[in-house]
Amino acid sequence: MTGWIPRIIAISGSDIGIIISLVVIGGGLAWLLKQSIKAGDVDRRIVFLFIFISVSVPILFPITFSETATPIVKKLYDRIENLPEGSAVLISFDFDPAMAPEVQPMADAFARHCLAKNHKVIFMSLWATGQSLLSTTLQNVVRPEFPEKIEGVDFANLGYKAGNEGVLNVIVTNFRKMFPTDVNSIPLDSIAVFKKIRSCQDLDLIISIGGGKPGAKEWILFVGDPANVPMGCGVAAVTAPQLYPYYPKQLLGILGGIKGAAEYESELVRHYDRFADVKKPGLRMMGPQTLAHVVIMAFIVLGNISYFVTRRRGKKP
Amino acid sequence: MKFKMLLALILLCFVSAVSGFGQSAEEIMALPDSMAMAPPAPPSNVRGVDTDNDHGHSITLTWETSPDDGAGLNNVIGYKVFRAESPDGPFIERALIPSGGTGHIDVGAKEKDANDYLPDHVGFYYKVRAITADSLIYAESEVFGPVQSYGQWFNTGRVPVLVFVIFFLFVTLFFIQKAKGGANLFVRRLAGIEAVDEAIGRATEMGKPILYVLGLGTAADIATIASYTILGRVAKKVAEYQTGLIVPCYDPIVMTVAQETVKASYMDAGRPDAYYEDMVYFVTQSQFAYVAAVNGTMLRERPATNIYMGKFYAESLILAETGALAGSIQISGTDEIAQIPFFVVACDYTLIGEELYAASAYLGREPLLLGSLKAQDYAKAAAIIIAIIGFITMNFGIEAFKHLFYVSN
Amino acid sequence: MSRTMIILLALVAIVFAVSWAAKSASLDDQYDDYISRGFLITLAAFLTLSILSFLYKDNPFYKFAEHLFVGVSAAYWMSLGFWSTIVGNLIPRLSVTLSAFFKVPHIEDEYALYILPDKVSYFIPVVLGILLLMRLSKKAGWISSWPLAFIVGTTAGLNLVRYLRSDFIEQVSSTFVPLLVDWQGTGRFFSDFNLYAYGQFVTMLGNWVIFIGVLCGLVYFFFSKEHKGIFGGASRVGIWVLMITFGASFGYTVMGRISLLVGRLTFLFHDWLELIG
Repeated sequence: MTGWIPRIIAISGSDIGIIISLVVIGGGLAWLLKQSIKAGDVDRRIVFLFIFISVSVPILFPITFSETATPIVKKLYDRIENLPEGSAVLISFDFDPAMAPEVQPMADAFARHCLAKNHKVIFMSLWATGQSLLSTTLQNVVRPEFPEKIEGVDFANLGYKAGNEGVLNVIVTNFRKMFPTDVNSIPLDSIAVFKKIRSCQDLDLIISIGGGKPGAKEWILFVGDPANVPMGCGVAAVTAPQLYPYYPKQLLGILGGIKGAAEYESELVRHYDRFADVKKPGLRMMGPQTLAHVVIMAFIVLGNISYFVTRRRGKKP
Repeated sequence: MKFKMLLALILLCFVSAVSGFGQSAEEIMALPDSMAMAPPAPPSNVRGVDTDNDHGHSITLTWETSPDDGAGLNNVIGYKVFRAESPDGPFIERALIPSGGTGHIDVGAKEKDANDYLPDHVGFYYKVRAITADSLIYAESEVFGPVQSYGQWFNTGRVPVLVFVIFFLFVTLFFIQKAKGGANLFVRRLAGIEAVDEAIGRATEMGKPILYVLGLGTAADIATIASYTILGRVAKKVAEYQTGLIVPCYDPIVMTVAQETVKASYMDAGRPDAYYEDMVYFVTQSQFAYVAAVNGTMLRERPATNIYMGKFYAESLILAETGALAGSIQISGTDEIAQIPFFVVACDYTLIGEELYAASAYLGREPLLLGSLKAQDYAKAAAIIIAIIGFITMNFGIEAFKHLFYVSN
Repeated sequence: MSRTMIILLALVAIVFAVSWAAKSASLDDQYDDYISRGFLITLAAFLTLSILSFLYKDNPFYKFAEHLFVGVSAAYWMSLGFWSTIVGNLIPRLSVTLSAFFKVPHIEDEYALYILPDKVSYFIPVVLGILLLMRLSKKAGWISSWPLAFIVGTTAGLNLVRYLRSDFIEQVSSTFVPLLVDWQGTGRFFSDFNLYAYGQFVTMLGNWVIFIGVLCGLVYFFFSKEHKGIFGGASRVGIWVLMITFGASFGYTVMGRISLLVGRLTFLFHDWLELIG
């Protein structure tokens, strides 16, 4: 396609996405404004329809934006980056499938980064449903992308243990009491990763990924603070504001919602060539996010315009 | 110069190759400087003490670095720590510290059958070895010992926590006692309570009922307990004004208590005849089924006022949104921080967090709630004062005050 | 059942069957169990669409999906409770024979109380657990308040110290912030000025906001004094701070919910319809 005509026609999928979204959403909103001023109320289903279009079009025709890591994300990234090789990092999967689209990308990104830096990674879960999502990360990220890493030597999978904060309260002084074996029933004493790790106090970093209870907050309360272990977290957007007070003293960094995940992914891609082609759900989700946000903001503006217009009209007679 | 170095290097390679054929380490170490790396000066002044504020099984070691660490011959790459039960050995390696390190905490297991069991009250001997890139060239410190580990009964690093626990417990018990004794503890009037009164007045004017939702909490949740008191107040006003009251419940036990509360209020208002049991009824214990039922009631009965007080979760926005659509005045209150934004957006008035307790304490004057509220106020006052002092001292560069709040593990 | 409903049901059944067949065919070369995989993906898509249909209006498909979800999750949590708590935590410590029966590795007695014979200490939680179940009985229901009191008491004790440390002492000392951060004179200040959060100016502003926000927020929740004069002013600032926090929280929630929608739509477009790669 070298001629000038094909060059004009040759628009990428991303361009199609932007064009469709702009036409549909822009036109629709203008019509909506007219309607709302004329009739007052707008059927809520129309709002749902707009959100559906603004989310689905960028999924079908991916629109991507470049992301830069904000300090709250960058600090956590830098900590993992600057830990000496072979440091012990614990990643806890404290979430369920309902939260997974938001936080699983973070879990994948952390796992990639830690393994690429040759840290010893310990995976575990305080949520029963987290264990299967943990297997998903092992299956989709760890094993295919790091075939040279051996389970037990480079990473360990403790799986799920019932007991919520009770589990934390025990492992802060002794892992073996709560986890006599790993998920495959191998005693911890015969796992190389645990050779020098007796309790959480021997860890170099703890990352809790979640958004409910128990989650990052319980980790801070029961492990991070009492054992003085540096902590970071990746949480669902709903929970993020409640964790900001712990930053930067009790939490090194926070990944809040899919934006945090996208920032972390972009930072990884920038520094590691090997991750250029892996799936980056966080960055991919930012397209629909951005468009949906634009639509919601437009709704807020339109709602206010029509509110003031109708109010003025009501006052006049 | 370059030639000399090259020669030395070749010789070194040669020597190390030959050493595999029968030369012992001692012989290599005895080689002249020009042929092998000179051994560094040993680390000095090795000292060991029991680690403070722990449960035992740990010894803290310190030493002074070798003069050849970062200076002099500059060939020290790290230190190895050795431990033995007698000064003559056998010594076992316990740790490897990078160069520049001047200390190590030797922590062992407390279980007798563990590999690295470190018994308490047993004398141990330590020595530190400065190591070089060549594993055969090193220098060892003098042996230090004996040193014993033992546990402490009291962790002095946690004194700040103890002080605050005692302070809070004392203040709480003191004010609960005072409230029980009938002391008149002042609680300011909250705008939310006025909003409740106004809303009841409006319902009366419109001749429509009031819907009161106690939330999804159990009967033991503080938010639910606070909600009973407010329900009592609302029921009393409703009885006086002869307006309708609808209380759908999520929890059967909560329902029983709510029935009693409403009944008592109708008695207080002098209208026991107007009370009937179905005002307060049980719906279901399935979260969203409950929401669906309450939403149905809102749309059918069109209450003038909806009051949501208690524990709420994901259903908060669905309830408040439906109520807003039905055109009711809505007042809410919850201590679930995550749900407050939704209530703030969709309701006319929201009691934020502790305001719910305060409203309840103001209305009910129940000693337990009132006393705890007072104690919390004092805790907040303490926090404000500490924050201001800390802020001032910090800005004048005085660090001592900040250290008072340092808690070690 | 109305005529439209019957037609709709038939239509959905046909679409379901077609999707199952097509999905199984497309998975044929990848998996051995392609028929069951095809069914599961189609079922997941059907349930997703059923739940989303509530946005239009309440309907039998939504009700079916909701009830299914409630029922399945209740059963799931119940069986999980048994396998993870009783089989996972209790049985390996309680008995060698039972551990062998459930095929879980036996754990040696590590919480031995010394004064009690072997394993006896583990019967304390067992008894408390049984007492808790007395709730189901009308007559002996009151007994359940004993283990409940134990739970409430230990949780309160455990939490009091943790919260006091992490949420009070650490948080209060976090407000000891310097007003002027690395102040390096106006020249440096202007040349280094930028809008990123790590700018000198913004760090300083952040410290001010933290200090004033915390103080005013606390004043707002102070109930022992009327909010008048300076106190009233501070409390008004406090409520502003709170409202801004709620706004941020609300914004974050919107982002979270959109992410979940993206997750579901990606499933529909990618895993089910295979529209995107």
